[in-house]
Parts: sequence; C-alpha cells; structure tokens
Amino acid sequence: MPLALPDLQAAFAAHLAGADRPDLAAGVLGDAIPSAARLRVYRHHVQESLASALAATFPTVQAVVGSDFFRALARAFVAENLPRQPVLAEYGEDFPAFVAGYEPARGLPYLADVARLDWALNAAFHASTDERLAAADLAALPADRLLSLRLVLASGTALVSSAHPLDRIWAASQPGAPEGTVDLDAAGAHLLVLRRPDDAAFVVLSPPEARFVDGIALGKTLEEAAAWVDGEFDLTAGFARLLNLGAFAALQ
Amino acid sequence: MISAAGIGLRSPHLAEIEIDRPAAGFLEIHAENYLASSPALAAVERLRADYAFSVHAVGLSLGSCDGLDEEHLARVAALVKRLEPALVSDHLSWSTFGGRYFNDLLPLPYSEEALAVVVDNVQRLQDALGRRVAVENPSCYLGFAQSTLSEPAFLSELARRSGCALLLDVNNIAVTAHNLRLEARDWLSLPGEAIVQYHLAGHAVNDADGEPILIDDHGSRVKDGVWALFGDVVRRFGPRPTLIEWDTDLPALDVLLDEAARADRITSTAGGLHAARAA
Repeated sequence: MPLALPDLQAAFAAHLAGADRPDLAAGVLGDAIPSAARLRVYRHHVQESLASALAATFPTVQAVVGSDFFRALARAFVAENLPRQPVLAEYGEDFPAFVAGYEPARGLPYLADVARLDWALNAAFHASTDERLAAADLAALPADRLLSLRLVLASGTALVSSAHPLDRIWAASQPGAPEGTVDLDAAGAHLLVLRRPDDAAFVVLSPPEARFVDGIALGKTLEEAAAWVDGEFDLTAGFARLLNLGAFAALQ
Repeated sequence: MISAAGIGLRSPHLAEIEIDRPAAGFLEIHAENYLASSPALAAVERLRADYAFSVHAVGLSLGSCDGLDEEHLARVAALVKRLEPALVSDHLSWSTFGGRYFNDLLPLPYSEEALAVVVDNVQRLQDALGRRVAVENPSCYLGFAQSTLSEPAFLSELARRSGCALLLDVNNIAVTAHNLRLEARDWLSLPGEAIVQYHLAGHAVNDADGEPILIDDHGSRVKDGVWALFGDVVRRFGPRPTLIEWDTDLPALDVLLDEAARADRITSTAGGLHAARAA
C-alpha cells in the first residue's frame, strides 16, 4: 500500500532529521541510483544548506573556529533544531546556548559570547529603522520630567556583556585583520549593538554605561537607572553619548 | 538595447546595481530574504523606480498536506503589497511539515490526492494575495512508485483547476529528466498559454553510488544542453520573460548580464521561428 500523503510527508520529515524509514524508501523508484541514495540527496541538502545559513548568521564564530569545526558544530545544532519557519535570517536564536553546551568547544569559553554577539548583530541588521530619540525631542522638557522618563531601546539595540575581551576577539576575527594575538585573560567587555542606517555595528560601553543601559532596558526611569549604577557615572555625558548613538526609540 | 531577460538580485551585487543601473529586463528576489527589515529591503524599494520585480518564494510549501502557514503567508502578502511585483511565484513542492521548515524543495507523489492538496493551497495563496500566482516545476532527485500522473500532466491539471500560471524552469526540466530517466520533450506538452516566465540556471554533476546525478545548485553558467532545450521551449511556446538564476559561488555581475544577453539572443531567434509558425 502506498503511503497516504500525510504519512509520506511525516516519513520524509523523519528521514530528513536522520531516521531510517524503509517504508518511505520502499515507495521511491530506484535503478542504478538506488532509492536510498536518491533520498540521501535531500537529507544532505537540508543539513548542508542550513549549516550554510548558520555560517552566514554567525560569521565570527566560524572565523574563530575555522570552517571544518564550524560545519561539525552547525550540523550538530541542525540535527536537533530544525527551523520553525522559512525566514533563515531568523534561524539560530538558540545557537549561542547550544554553543555553550557543545562539548568539543569546551576549551573556548568565550565562543558562546561570540555567538551572542553575532546573533545580536544579525538581529540589529534586520531590525526596523523606526525613528530614534534625538536630543532636540527633549530640549523642551523640564529637568524633572526628563529624569522621570522611561525610555525604550530602539529596535535592534542590544547590550552584549562578556567576561572575555569580546571586542578584541571580534576585531581579530574580521577578514583582513592584522596578524596578532588577543590576550584572552584581559578584562571583559560590554558591547552595545545598534542598527545604523546601512548596517549593524557595536560600540564599547564603560561598565557604568552598560549598567545604565541595563537599567533602562529593565524599565527604570533615567533617574532610577542612574542611581542604580554603582560607581562613577556622569549621567549627562553618558546619556548624551547614548542619545547620539541612536540607542533609544522616539517617544510614543 | 534593453535586455528582456532578468537576473536574480543577490546582496553582493546590490551596491553595483544601485550605482550602475545596468539594463536588465527585470530583477528577481527571493521573498524569504526580504520579509525581515534590512538595508537590502530599503535598496530594493529604491530600485523599484527603475526595474520591474519578480517575487519568487521558496518557503510557502504549496504541497504541504497540513495547509499553508498563515503567519508566513501574511508576511509574504505584506511584501507583495509593498513591492507590487510583476510576478509572484513558488514551486510544485513542499518544505514544511509538523511545524518544521526543511529549506528544500521536497518532491510530491503525482497523485490525485496530492493534486487536491496543491490546488487548495494555491487557491488559498491566490485569495490571500488577491492575484494569480505562477507555480514552477521543481528539480527532482527521486520519483514515487505511487505517482499516477506525469509532472507535466500534474502541472497542467493544477493550472486548469486553480487558475494559476506556470513558471517553466528549463534547467529543472533537464535535471529532472536526467535523474528520473524521463524525456525533456514531455514538458513541451504543457499548456503554453499558462506559462508566464522561464528560468535558466547552471547545475552540477555529482556522484550517487557511482552514477551521475544532476544537482540544481545554481552555481555555474547555464549548460549547453539546457541552452538547446531553451531554444526548443521558446520555439514551442514563444518568448517569455526569462530569468538567469545564480545562488552559489556567485560570479561578477557582468557574468550574469552576459548570460541574460545570451538568453535574449536565443529568444530573438527562436521566438521569431515561433511567431512564423504561428502565423
């Protein structure tokens, strides 16, 4: 009996995910190219094309580990995490967590943070360019109103904090980067990822600036976020810098 | 001369096309690459003033027995509304099942059961977009013993029942015919009035257990046999807007434009023969 279409698609889906489905192969015509080899063409394409999609979204991870290691890592991820929808730019949200638990990468404790940075840059690249808050929008506000504002981070803006020198690891992994070594024991970094008009990029924040942005993201007012910062923080200068970067969404 | 053949718009060529505005019949984009906002989408919106666009979807999964993904359909519909392309198309295949997306154009058995599923899905798509869509013949690496219709018969019946148009990928005919031991001329029995666009691309020859198998990788120039078949297709059905597709190992833009010019020369010669025969 041939498989009904829902059963055939279920069996094919299981085959693509790595299962052995003789019931599916039995219904596939084979000749000098046996049915099993024909089915393998599809499984191979699914795995390799999704691994390539991950390489496009996580270029820095690939640059750090090399393409052979990356392929193995990506295939292992794909086997357990097929996409849930067809937009590949939105595929891979769970990849950084997978990298963190990937046994062969245990010797690279910063690799999951590199993946988080790549994901944030990818998300920012695909974020909308809705209007940003500008200094002029606030000029008319009295100081007490300004301090009690609860601002929203602009679309694509994300803080990536790492215990490792993530900015230097990223820079050393770019195409054409000068030869050299990164001191992996150097201090950690706080990177603010932003959608710019034609690309996505990040800037390095000081620890107080990062803590301030964190406070804003948690829904604190400017005054509360500033008070939440431990240590030296010049609210006027820090806020002006973030405003100029276009880090905040326009007021609703 | 304005070239009538179009080319796939791929992001590494975007800046060059924006600056040079080369002559091309139209530009094609993959819907799924432009559903999320991006600088590339902004560039496409700027290019709309100078080029006709074709929106080619790869993820609607018209052959899925569980119906179309309404969320994805709504995003594609929003893009189509925004770009108002000359043509919207997807493939005779399926790519999602049970909430998972496989990123491949998976084969269908050509049965009455599958035909009813595809007709329903195409009608749902046409209703959602408020326009006719074109369905493309896929490249196949296997056939099912349970198929009772040939691929051309299946496509003809799909066009008749759903009112959809057909997109004839000449390279896919060559790939499928070789891999499934069929005759490429069988596709010349399609209803020509339903065909609205041709596709051309390169394919690779891989090894499957010691036997050559053709892989539709869009990674090289169009093969000579495919150019010859394209001539047959144009002589049979007449000229149509023709797309040069190239997705892997993308060459310089000039190479794509050169392939488009070659398609135009064949269209001009073979199309003349078609018109003479029709007169």
